[in-house]
Amino acid sequence: MEAALHTGHDGHAAGHGHSNSFIRTYVFSTDHKMIAKQFMVTAFIFLFIGGAFALFIRWQLAYPGEPIPVIGTMLPSTWVNDAGAVTAEWYTQLLTMHGTIMIFAVIIPLLVGTFGNFAIPLMIGADDMAFPFLNMVSYWLFPIAGLIMMAGFFMEGGMAASGWTAYPPLSAIASPGQTLWIVSLFLIGFSSILGGVNYITTVLNMRAPGMKMFDLPMTVWAVFITAIIIVIGTPVLASALAMLFMDNFLHTSFFQPENLIVPTRDMSRTAGGGQPLLWQHLFWFYSHPAVYIMILPGMGVVSDVISTFARKPLYGYRAMVFAIVAIAFLGIVVWGHHMFQSGMNPLLGTTFMVSTMVIAVPSAIKTFNWLGTMWRGKMEFTAPMLNAVAFVSMFVIGGLSGIFMASTPVDVFIHDTYFIVGHIHYVLFGGSLFAVFAGLYYWFPKMSGRMYSERLAKWHFWITFVTFNGTFFPMHILGMGGMMRRIYDPTVYDFLKPFQPMNEFITINAMILGFAQLLLIANFAWYWFGGRKAKRNPWRANTLEWQAPSPPPHGNFDRPLHVYRGPYEYSAPESVQDYLPQTTSPEDLVEQRRHHEMRLSQVQQAEHLD
Amino acid sequence: MLDWLPENVSVFGEGVDHLFRLIYYISIAIFLLVNTIYILFIIRYRRKRKGEKAYHYHGNNLLEFSWTALPFALFLFLAFYSDGIWEDIKYSEKKPNPDLVVEVMGQAYLWHFRYPGSDGIFGRRERRFISPTNPFGVDPEDPNGRDDLTGINTMHIPVNKTILVRLSSMDVIHSFFLPNMRVKQDAVPGQWVDVWFNSVKTGEYEIACAELCGSGHYLMRAVLTVQPQREFDTWIDEQYTNKRVSLASAQATTNE
Repeated sequence: MEAALHTGHDGHAAGHGHSNSFIRTYVFSTDHKMIAKQFMVTAFIFLFIGGAFALFIRWQLAYPGEPIPVIGTMLPSTWVNDAGAVTAEWYTQLLTMHGTIMIFAVIIPLLVGTFGNFAIPLMIGADDMAFPFLNMVSYWLFPIAGLIMMAGFFMEGGMAASGWTAYPPLSAIASPGQTLWIVSLFLIGFSSILGGVNYITTVLNMRAPGMKMFDLPMTVWAVFITAIIIVIGTPVLASALAMLFMDNFLHTSFFQPENLIVPTRDMSRTAGGGQPLLWQHLFWFYSHPAVYIMILPGMGVVSDVISTFARKPLYGYRAMVFAIVAIAFLGIVVWGHHMFQSGMNPLLGTTFMVSTMVIAVPSAIKTFNWLGTMWRGKMEFTAPMLNAVAFVSMFVIGGLSGIFMASTPVDVFIHDTYFIVGHIHYVLFGGSLFAVFAGLYYWFPKMSGRMYSERLAKWHFWITFVTFNGTFFPMHILGMGGMMRRIYDPTVYDFLKPFQPMNEFITINAMILGFAQLLLIANFAWYWFGGRKAKRNPWRANTLEWQAPSPPPHGNFDRPLHVYRGPYEYSAPESVQDYLPQTTSPEDLVEQRRHHEMRLSQVQQAEHLD
Repeated sequence: MLDWLPENVSVFGEGVDHLFRLIYYISIAIFLLVNTIYILFIIRYRRKRKGEKAYHYHGNNLLEFSWTALPFALFLFLAFYSDGIWEDIKYSEKKPNPDLVVEVMGQAYLWHFRYPGSDGIFGRRERRFISPTNPFGVDPEDPNGRDDLTGINTMHIPVNKTILVRLSSMDVIHSFFLPNMRVKQDAVPGQWVDVWFNSVKTGEYEIACAELCGSGHYLMRAVLTVQPQREFDTWIDEQYTNKRVSLASAQATTNE
């Protein structure tokens, strides 16, 4: 093999001093793999908090005002009434915190924090991130921010209760929990920016020798483009949060018009003259791209998983890359589709409708290319593949339901109804979370050095898949019936009463869905330490991370790497196997073939003698 | 599934429902197409032996081009087709000449309605006059405002007439939602927005708030009564008489 020395190694080892202390290894680690695991574990904890909140919401919607079974009376009196039923105040906090936690403390940390950190250096053949210390800071801001947000529990008025979108004036005249929410998101924003800068620099500067941009696997492309969106969008959210903080605290009026009638608050020092819609523009300028922050890395992971397990090159690799770039850039000019009914000039509604319809095109391109990848493949349905396949199918539903709300007149009716709730969960659960599951199972052997239980993983997948659809598909029907989101008790309205059986059906599915996630945790907790030892390349995949030991040591690779080809040369005719790693040199390939032919002729001779 | 939509009784609602149905059928068609292919692939292209090779193929530009161009054409068509209906519902230059103007003011957690009393003219209003007792901020100096009718959580309109609703909010953002009229518009404090509709059927319909406005958001329910013009006129007269009586008694109390 050509001795293309990977220069990073020795310098890296010297620079870090390979301290073995517990604190440097497990707490304040600068190793990208440890940081990825820290993001993962923290996000899992939040997944269960956010999930539990969702189940409380579902209980209340199915059985309004009835006591929560078993634990109802054990909950604090600020949450439930004497009988143990959810109060309207707590309900509003629950829906706010469920959305915020799932988006900012679960999906973004899992897709961007965990996969970005774990996969980028390993997939580009680097020994670590460009800025390991920055990376550590990026992680530590996240649990701190999470704790600040949850601290609202101890404040008067409880946690934030203005919805995850925090529209002022409601959020500008809110309880202290809202201020904590603002500070917390501000910190998470910093965490994202630090991570984003790191990803961009690492991908641009630290690729292994011979690796061109178009040799990058889709996961790396997706996280790279995502990082660019983060760096463009997050400062805008940060500025909006700063203004909202001042409106809450310093009596400024960025978002508050004159003379608001608020009996609960002294408004005499608030001058007014602000515009509530300004927040919505600034918020969605970040938060619409954030939807793509939450789906693009998933698309990348799924592309890699489908190609690996179909044993087939990714269909239209370059088209896939361009589609991601197109989504990223169009994603910046569609934010107004959240505001069709906000009182924004309807002419802008027309503009944003056109741009929103156009952004559906690259999503369609991606779907067709995934289908193309599977066409004439040799698919193997392991747990990662099952989850990836589910992702594509669920993403199609999420995309199609998106067309309804993109059409401004239809949006008049379904805006702020459960149709939107159904849609967002098809994209963020059916899409992002299934991609997270696919990626977690896919890289489990590399992360832990062990194999997970395939049987447990399949149980987890099937229960999740069925109850996911049972939970979120009927929400489209509730939305068609006109059921508003964020209402505490739908039975107040006569026109919603016929939907109560459907609400119960959803809740039963949601309960099973929630508890089924314990299977994932059990699988991880048990097999991470007790699983069968994983080989270096258990999936017989092409990308660079599988050339490292499982798990990779500090500094990642134990042999020099050189990249000769793209990541998707599965079933290539020039290889004797059904895969062709990016690092196999042409000379090695010739050698392998000679070896193979020699063995074949030996076998033939032996048969002949018989 | 389309049966789940609540009954539509407004003229503009027909446009909304028509588009809903169109997109619904298109989505179902695309969904079935994609998923049929998908499931066929899943059944057909499974690995049967270990090490079996798949077809080594990187893609086809003609196909890439066609599955870019076709969705592009379809989605652009949908956008421009939708826009015609959107303009009718929302563009201010398409605003019809209303038969009745009603002002609606959201407050956590109720709806205020205001009719221009017997003179048909609203009293001048300004944001700075708004107070818990003067939800619309009517100028107390303006004589036109004296006979304006205001009420809470009940709205009456005549059938088959074009109604213009002027919408705003006293405190936080609310959203004025009439499911049966296919009307939804956010009520934003500090800003007045016009919405219009035309109900073709008498009856009682529900009005809801669709934007989170606090923990009592779900209680923000009002009732819309659509009635024949004659009954509506009677109702207005009743309100007007009630108002005069209460004004007179209030006057009497202050005089005593």
